[in-house]
This record gives sequence, C-alpha cells and structure tokens, in this order.
Amino acid sequence: MLGIEDCLTEVMAIPGALDAILIDQTSGTAVATGGVSRHADVERSAAGLSETLRATLDGLVLTSPGGTVRINDMIITTDGGHHLLRPLETPFDGPLVVYVRLDLERSNLALARHRLQALSGRLMST
Amino acid sequence: MPSVGNILSGLAGDHATGSLRLGKAGVIYLTDGRVTYAESAAAPRLEDLLAARRGISAHAVRQARQAASRQQPGSRPSGGERLVAQGLLTRGELEFCVLSTVLDAAYFLLRATGHRPRFRRGERHWLGPQWYFDATGLLRECERRRAQLEQTWPSAELDTLPVVPLARIGAQRVVLSSLQWEVLVGADSTATPAELARKLGRPAYSVLLAVRQLASSGLLRVPEPGPAEVLGAPETPEALEAPAPPDPLPRRTRGATEIPAAGTGSSETREWLPRANGDPSDVNLLIRLRNALEAMT
Repeated sequence: MLGIEDCLTEVMAIPGALDAILIDQTSGTAVATGGVSRHADVERSAAGLSETLRATLDGLVLTSPGGTVRINDMIITTDGGHHLLRPLETPFDGPLVVYVRLDLERSNLALARHRLQALSGRLMST
Repeated sequence: MPSVGNILSGLAGDHATGSLRLGKAGVIYLTDGRVTYAESAAAPRLEDLLAARRGISAHAVRQARQAASRQQPGSRPSGGERLVAQGLLTRGELEFCVLSTVLDAAYFLLRATGHRPRFRRGERHWLGPQWYFDATGLLRECERRRAQLEQTWPSAELDTLPVVPLARIGAQRVVLSSLQWEVLVGADSTATPAELARKLGRPAYSVLLAVRQLASSGLLRVPEPGPAEVLGAPETPEALEAPAPPDPLPRRTRGATEIPAAGTGSSETREWLPRANGDPSDVNLLIRLRNALEAMT
C-alpha cells in the first residue's frame, strides 16, 4: 500500500531515473516532485506536460478506429534521454500523471514501463 | 477587510495551527502554518467523493470521525489512518482525495466574500493531516486555475445556471473527454455545475472547467443576454418566450406609388424566423414529412 510520496520514491528507484513529477491532469498542477533540480520550473513543466498528453489524446482520437482512445503510456525520446508519461486512473478526479525522465545510456525503457505499470496498481486500488 | 489570501499568508507566517472559519462559505484548517484541509459549501466534501466514487458509506466515515474526535487531538491513529486501516481505501487514494478536495475547496474559498473570517486556534480536522500545502503555493495554484477557466471560456454566466446540452448541434463530429461525457450524461437541464459535481462525485472546479469547455465548443445552451440576465435573475419560462414577432410583410405607406422591395419592411424578421441554412438534416426532415403526408392520402 503506497502513499503519493512513496510512489515517487519508487519511481525514482527505477534504474536510470533522473527526475520525476506527479501531475494532476485536470488542472495541470504538479502534485509532488522527485530529483528535480532547483532551476527547473516544475509548475510550468507540469502544465506543459499535461497539455502534451491532452493534445496527443485529441490527435489520436480522430485516427483511432471507433473514435475513442485511452493512453497507457507515452514515450518521448530526446537527445538527453527518455521521457515517460503514464496516466494513473484515480477514482476521484481526472488521472494522475507520472512523468519520469530517464538517462539515455543507463536506463531500460521496457523495465521502466513495467515498473510504472506495477506501481499504478499499488497506489490506487482501481 | 483583508482578503482570505492575506489572512492565510499571515497565519502561515505565524506557523499557526487551527481552523479559519469563513462563515457559511467553509473552513480552512492549518497545521503549523501549512494548509492541511479545506471545505467549501460550493464544492463536494470528501465524504461526498468517497461515497460517490468508492461506494464508502456515510456511516463508515461517521464512525471513523467519531472515533477520531473522542481521542486527544493530534494523537494516533488519526481519522484518515483509521479509514486506511479498515481497508476502505489505500493511502494513495486517501492522499489524492484530500489533495483534490483541498485544491477544489480553496479555489472557491479564496473568492468567497460576505463573511467574517474567524480563526480558532488549535482546532483540527478529524482526518488528521494527510497532505501539506504551503499557503503561497495554494494561492498561486488558485490563481492559475482562475486563469485556466478564463482562457477556456471567458464568461462566468454559465457557472451558476443549469447545464442544458443543445438537442442538436452545428458540428458534424465532436470529441469529448471522459469528464465532459459524464457532465453531458448527468445534465438534466435543472442541475447547476455545482450540483452536478456533487451528483457525479467530481471536484466542482473540474466540472466547471468541463462546462466551460463544452460551452466554448458550442454544445450547451447559452442564455440570450436580456433584461433577466442583467438583473441576475434565474431564467424563467417567460423570459425564454420569443418577443412578439414583428410584422413580416412590407407596409405600403399611404400615397406611395412604389411597392417596397420584399424584405425591406422586415429587417428584424431574421431574428425570429428560423434561419434557412441548407442543413441536410432539415432537408431530410422536410422530405420525410412530405413522404409521410403523401402516404396518408
């Protein structure tokens, strides 16, 4: 049984994890952060990332057969590393989004995805 | 009178513990200068969310609350810990539930007016601290939320009116988020956004945002600006009735020899007659009507 802070600790324990943000998707608020340097603007980063997810959903829904879409996770690879976004369904509000930035050389994407998936089941019981 | 935000910043600076009561609007609880709980009359309470989303009965919540209020304030286990220990919800869910409730309530409390704020030192909420918000962060977040609403649909006119989805829309295809879907399914043309939020067990702010998004997509009935609106009176059926139709026919003035061109005497006509717009559904309806009439003869 995990709390929000424990969840973040576990995300940061994923091999190669550099920093992580927990974002409330509805409002784009950063709920909690781990490993983020003091220079990073977490608030704007969280708002931008939740907007990214929303825009991607909007883009995907029109190309999806049936016209509905559910994102399990989203991987963005940049020069600096992998960025993983995973919406966790919550029973109360819109999804809580886990964002984690992974080192390009030291991380294993498949393992990171697997760990995030396992984590979501332990944070929320639904 | 100082604003709620200023009072809150002052209390945070003093590292105060207690409850800030804002009359009927609600309460904000602080623990050592940080906000740990908030309740607003305009937003669903934690109990409402738990009942609607997780099927946790009011009875179970009341029991945990009574057990928590019998013991010394601040001692363990807190009311929240009791709920988790009973297996009613996980720690993560409880924290997230408190988080959404507080952010939601704070948004409405910070804008509330017409009350006399009173601070009761030492009073604690029965749940115990589950999540700590620093006051400046909370104020900044509320301001961001206000800006987000403003950006979505700049008018507050729909915020307190019943949500009425249009029966027929101009668009041919619509993309909805899951919350927008819930709002449309839940809208019964009488419930306001705040009532819908309580019914759906969703934070009031999220529902407000969804309503404004739906309005900006042109899916909701928007009241015509009129005298009823200016007075802030609720819409009445009388207010919705169309004004007496102007005479659609051109009038010939006495002694005039020229016949006025069709349409000149009826510039207002377009406002009350349905607009001819070549909408295929209108044409289809007319064809079906004609076929039905022909079948009757």
